[in-house]
Amino acid sequence: MMVKNEPAETAFHIADRLKIEGPWDVFAERARRYELHFNGRQIEMVRGPIELEGYGLRVFRYHDGKTRVGFLATTDLSEHGVSETAREATALGEYSTFPAGRVALPPPGQRHPSVEIVDPRLWEDPAGTLQAYVDSLFHAFDGRREVAPSFGSVRATLTETSIANSEGLRVGYPHTTVEFEVAVKSFGGPEGAPPGEYWVNETSRRVTTATLVQRVDDWCRYARDVRRASPSPSGELPVVLPAPILSQILPMVIGARFTGWARLRQIAPEIDTPWGTESLDLLDNGLVPWGIASAPMDDEGTPQRSRQLLRQGRVAGILYDALHGAAFGTPSTGNSVRGTDITGYRDWRRFTGAPNDTSSTLEVRPGAGGTDTELIEAAHDGIWVQQLGWAVPDPISGAFGGELRIGYRIRGGKLAEPIRGGTVGGVVMAPPGAPSLLANLAAIGSHAELSESVLAPSVLVRPLTVAGGQG
Amino acid sequence: MGREPLGFTEMSDLRSFEAEFSRAFLRLERHTPYVDVLAESTEGESLVVDTKSSTPSRQPKLSGAVLRAWGTGRWVEVATSSLDPESIGRAAHALEDRLAALGPGTTPPGEPSTTRKEWADRPTHPLSEEGTAGMAAWSKDVLGWATGVPGIGEGQVRIGWSEVQRFFMNSAGARTYQLVPRISAVVVPLAMENGRVEFDAEALGTQGGREHLERITPERVTEVAKNAVALLHAKPPPTGEMSVVLDPSTTGTFAHESFGHGTEADQFVRDRSYLRPLLGEKVGPEFLTIADDGSLPGGWGTIYADDEGFPCRRTALVEHGQFVSGLHDRVTAAALGTRPTGNARRADFLSRLFVRMTNTYVEPGDWSLEELVEEAKNGVLLVRATSGIEDPQGGQMQIKVKKGRRIENGRLTELVTSMALSGKVLDFLREIRGVSRQAKLNTDPGFCGKGHTDLLPVGSGGPYLLSRAIVGPA
Repeated sequence: MMVKNEPAETAFHIADRLKIEGPWDVFAERARRYELHFNGRQIEMVRGPIELEGYGLRVFRYHDGKTRVGFLATTDLSEHGVSETAREATALGEYSTFPAGRVALPPPGQRHPSVEIVDPRLWEDPAGTLQAYVDSLFHAFDGRREVAPSFGSVRATLTETSIANSEGLRVGYPHTTVEFEVAVKSFGGPEGAPPGEYWVNETSRRVTTATLVQRVDDWCRYARDVRRASPSPSGELPVVLPAPILSQILPMVIGARFTGWARLRQIAPEIDTPWGTESLDLLDNGLVPWGIASAPMDDEGTPQRSRQLLRQGRVAGILYDALHGAAFGTPSTGNSVRGTDITGYRDWRRFTGAPNDTSSTLEVRPGAGGTDTELIEAAHDGIWVQQLGWAVPDPISGAFGGELRIGYRIRGGKLAEPIRGGTVGGVVMAPPGAPSLLANLAAIGSHAELSESVLAPSVLVRPLTVAGGQG
Repeated sequence: MGREPLGFTEMSDLRSFEAEFSRAFLRLERHTPYVDVLAESTEGESLVVDTKSSTPSRQPKLSGAVLRAWGTGRWVEVATSSLDPESIGRAAHALEDRLAALGPGTTPPGEPSTTRKEWADRPTHPLSEEGTAGMAAWSKDVLGWATGVPGIGEGQVRIGWSEVQRFFMNSAGARTYQLVPRISAVVVPLAMENGRVEFDAEALGTQGGREHLERITPERVTEVAKNAVALLHAKPPPTGEMSVVLDPSTTGTFAHESFGHGTEADQFVRDRSYLRPLLGEKVGPEFLTIADDGSLPGGWGTIYADDEGFPCRRTALVEHGQFVSGLHDRVTAAALGTRPTGNARRADFLSRLFVRMTNTYVEPGDWSLEELVEEAKNGVLLVRATSGIEDPQGGQMQIKVKKGRRIENGRLTELVTSMALSGKVLDFLREIRGVSRQAKLNTDPGFCGKGHTDLLPVGSGGPYLLSRAIVGPA
């Protein structure tokens, strides 16, 4: 099956109609969205196509050694709309100041690497693929007793991104995103026992049914374990965090603090200072296949590549977009990202936001910690975190934490009873010498797993603070 | 500060598309007994200022429409971001194809709205009159108040306004039009020392005009900046189960996460709410009342009519400790034998409709803060909620706050850093020992997701409240 690899030319058409001086850039998206929502095993809503086409125009002007940036996003693609957008963006820039000299927008002719971010089956037949996936999901529950999906949805977005700038750059690429949600309910059994639920909410680049039965097995087990879980213990304990938990925690803090934005405000870590344990290698790698923040280029059109952030625990790099790079006289590292902000919220309508410098896909290099079983053995007496309510870290202070929705007690180096309730928390990164998640990694597993925008193995943190109901 | 002549283009009046939508209805009614459309257009401007940069932007100028029809046993929707006759016609054609494939349409559950009304009152002094220059001048003043405090090396001020137009029509004759003007402002002083960074914040978000900016005073900003500096040296919070006093912002988040999400009746229909069997039961003390009110004047979550065309109103969720009602759209109301409450909302024209909150709050009691602290004896005061998440099936909740104060021997003592509260909602309700007086309900602005998506503006608020919960660092 072939995927059309020619991008939509929305940005090119807008660029052709612009009658203003450079520098400027246009980031455009043409997106189609399809959704299926279900209640139990009944489809309750079918959506699509939800069609969206729009662009963001950024205009740069220079004044007194500083840069003025005007930005405006719109869905108005008409000739008049383009003309008004250009006029308004330029006018807005009059009230902007940024401490940078001339911004180096990416020129044409650069090689953009390829990265797998299009699900071809989904691209060709989105509605049919989603229906087939939901059918497979329901089928995976067949024959299971006292457990069922209570509701859920699958939403696919097929986007053609295009970028143009006043240097003559005209590039683009297609990509797919799938948001999946299902609540798995466990019920029945002893009279009066309340139901249990395991809520799955994840974003990926493709629809995969190959491992669905195994995953449903796991979800059902977690839903059952919720019903029999004991209160969490309390204290400073060894804690094992798998990749899906790290994907909730790392991007918001690393993506805020290891950046030109943070450096400008003097809150970025200094190069070559030790902010992580010696065994930690952390990279920003926008070329990780199927990562939801992976792409051939960043949102200014700079080619993606891999960048080391921590090498053996020492700070090795800072991330820049073109604007923040110009503030420090350094080129962009390909980390311009639109539609996200310091809270970590990622809008699927990326064209609506001006670029920020932040991380793409974060990669924690596998360590010598071995399998999850070996990490659990190393923890000896602690907890395994399966799901937190919402870790939602503070990108500035680095504090994170959340309610334990389901986890497991580790006793004598083995997984023991399920636990639930209370909180698990700490600080992601702290100045050299102070305790933090990055500095307290007692072991890094040897097998990495991709979870949304993080490729990481499970890690053992010794310790984190657990506040539960047992002393 | 006068309006500078930027000459931004005006957004078009969505009512001008009424004839196009009517034509689409005529086509679609051949396949379905019910169809509706929601058209939306957004305008606005925002400005972010810190010591290094000033970044103005217009709100994304998004407009579009979503057509919804009842197929056989399900809703079917198609949307477009192009509001022109050809695109609307194409969307209607796509929806027609989908309906035809489903076969003859049955009647959807519940009664449709037949409301015909318009609400389009602009503020007397809209913030837009200040222009970008006026907003920049105000922001620089506020930033100066924050950075004037020793220890504050950086800060950020954000200010903005928006006007959202929504035009709704259905095939039962409803026709509502509303224009919702909102303004927001926040100042975030950053304190830095030896690589450690802390912040505090003062924020407002409301409907109305520039007069609300007067709530951000030099005294309030200075106090918040001093708090940010103090947080650099604050100790971690106490951990474990203890007495907790929630400040108004945390009480509002509690109302939202506990009896807000738990009473969105789509969770009842999914048989996913631990609260459903408790409808009509006593769940809290006599002095506890929790309500949702989409008609609250000035509320961040206030709208005039929901996205099914039903007017918004106050709905008591817990009245004098008794769980009395859920929040409904037409489908859930029909399933549970009641009336829609005006809580059917879409995040935007691209997003599906869910049962959602508007402004959710705890009504005041008759304690003072001092009395609540004395009653708590030992525990912690939680201040400035930053996030929360519900657990409709399991009945738990998580609320995170920026800071707090220890309570020792009935008195407020040292400042502590950010923390998370967790626990079972029903246990928390049973343990409520007091709710404070409050002269005027002020709702905090927030954005609420259904799950982690479909964010829309909601308000939450309330007085101080004393209960018991598990607390840990976060």
